[in-house]
Amino acid sequence: MTPTFERLCAILRRDYKLAPESLTLDAPLEGLGIDSLGTVELLWNVEDEFNIKLPPEPVQLPTLGDVVHYIDGLIATRDTALVEPAIAVVPTLQVP
Amino acid sequence: MRRVAVTGIGVVSPLGCGAQEVYRNALAGRSGIRRLDAPFADRLVAPLAASAAFDGAAHFEPPQLRMLDRFSQMALFAANQALAASRNDLSTVDRSRAGVFVGTGMGGTLSMDDGYQTLYREGSDRIKPFTVLLGMHSAAAAWIGIEHDLRGANLTYSTACSSSAVAIGEAWLRVGSGELDFAIAGGAEAPLSCGSLKAWEALHTLASIDVQDPSASCKPFSKNRSGMVLGEGAAMLVLESWDDALARGAPVHGEVIGYGLSNDAGHITRPSVQGQTAAMRAALRAAAIDASAVDAINAHGTGTQANDSTETAAIKAVFGARAHHIPISATKAMHGHLLGAAGALECVLSLLAMQHAVALPTLHLVVPDAECDLDYVPNTARQEVAARTMLSNSFAFGGTNAVLVLRAA
Repeated sequence: MTPTFERLCAILRRDYKLAPESLTLDAPLEGLGIDSLGTVELLWNVEDEFNIKLPPEPVQLPTLGDVVHYIDGLIATRDTALVEPAIAVVPTLQVP
Repeated sequence: MRRVAVTGIGVVSPLGCGAQEVYRNALAGRSGIRRLDAPFADRLVAPLAASAAFDGAAHFEPPQLRMLDRFSQMALFAANQALAASRNDLSTVDRSRAGVFVGTGMGGTLSMDDGYQTLYREGSDRIKPFTVLLGMHSAAAAWIGIEHDLRGANLTYSTACSSSAVAIGEAWLRVGSGELDFAIAGGAEAPLSCGSLKAWEALHTLASIDVQDPSASCKPFSKNRSGMVLGEGAAMLVLESWDDALARGAPVHGEVIGYGLSNDAGHITRPSVQGQTAAMRAALRAAAIDASAVDAINAHGTGTQANDSTETAAIKAVFGARAHHIPISATKAMHGHLLGAAGALECVLSLLAMQHAVALPTLHLVVPDAECDLDYVPNTARQEVAARTMLSNSFAFGGTNAVLVLRAA
């Protein structure tokens, strides 16, 4: 179980009272009682938990594995964005 | 018009939960009004409220609970209770001819208040994703329809303090006309947010605290009345055609026999004798009864300066000299003003009072206002009142006056 999946499962157990054994990467969200509206709420909690910003575009996430993949992608984007300004700042620190 | 029976009652209120508990407390003259226990209470001039001892978490699973504002939680709970009490499993009901009619003045105002705090106080843009669904006035009716698969008209009325009397009246019209066979009708309100209490306070309509006894702060028809106390809760009725109800051996708590509306069309807050009189007369016409057939009245009786004298004058205009001999109960002294749920709760109390041959008391009425000189059943319930027909008055800011005519079973 990846750290992302573990933290996602913690939200699902806490807020949705889902049984741990039902939480597998190939489990469909609909099958867990999380419809498209529920997914909106889940992603809102995910933003907080993972300190990421969701893009405004709608996204299709049929399974928990898809959610994990989506979160990992956003974490990578966030980390890249955090690194980029640091690189950009370096030249200003160079002395002549 | 077909006869329309009330076959189920559900209620959560400052006087308790369930018809029997609410009736017992009303009969005993227990007030549900208290000093407000809230983090913002010290920001209010008179921190008073009539809260309901209701915890949604005890009745709904977390995923559903997060989608329900408190007003919807109470509405759905009361509707479920009413349906269970009606002993109608809906197996023979044509769902397309089954409707929901809910009155609310402020809808999901607690959720909106919560959202505003996030936005403006905390400066955060992270509004809860369900805020629209929590806040919309129609949410309570929608959830009742979803829960019980009721596929006919699903309507929400917001006419301020007459909202749920309107909801019950409109449901009565549809079941009576044969358009529907079954309806859940009533009202729900959960207005005890800082924002809403401050807004009501700014209008100078709220009661000042009775320092001797805060629970006695709302004093309808009294010389020293100072205003109303906001309350929360929900009350729901199951309405069915009389014949259907009898055919299935349903419990019958009484019937709705009339409903009258009028609009003051004068002032946004000031009540009108003419408007209130017109609504009572319209209700009597709809019920096809003479004023002489009315045995008792549940007054709008808010405890505000303007309402109580105006309502007294309107009752005199409708009933003439007989007005002095009709028991008039202002139960808001006990349960506070539930705004959009007030009419439904008072309709329930009227039905229960008739069922038990009682006139419920108007509490804290020691010295009546000189302009309020009718029989308000002061302070103690009156037993052996053989009322067969009652009016339940609901008047409102905006001028929509609604009166229900109720008959004992």
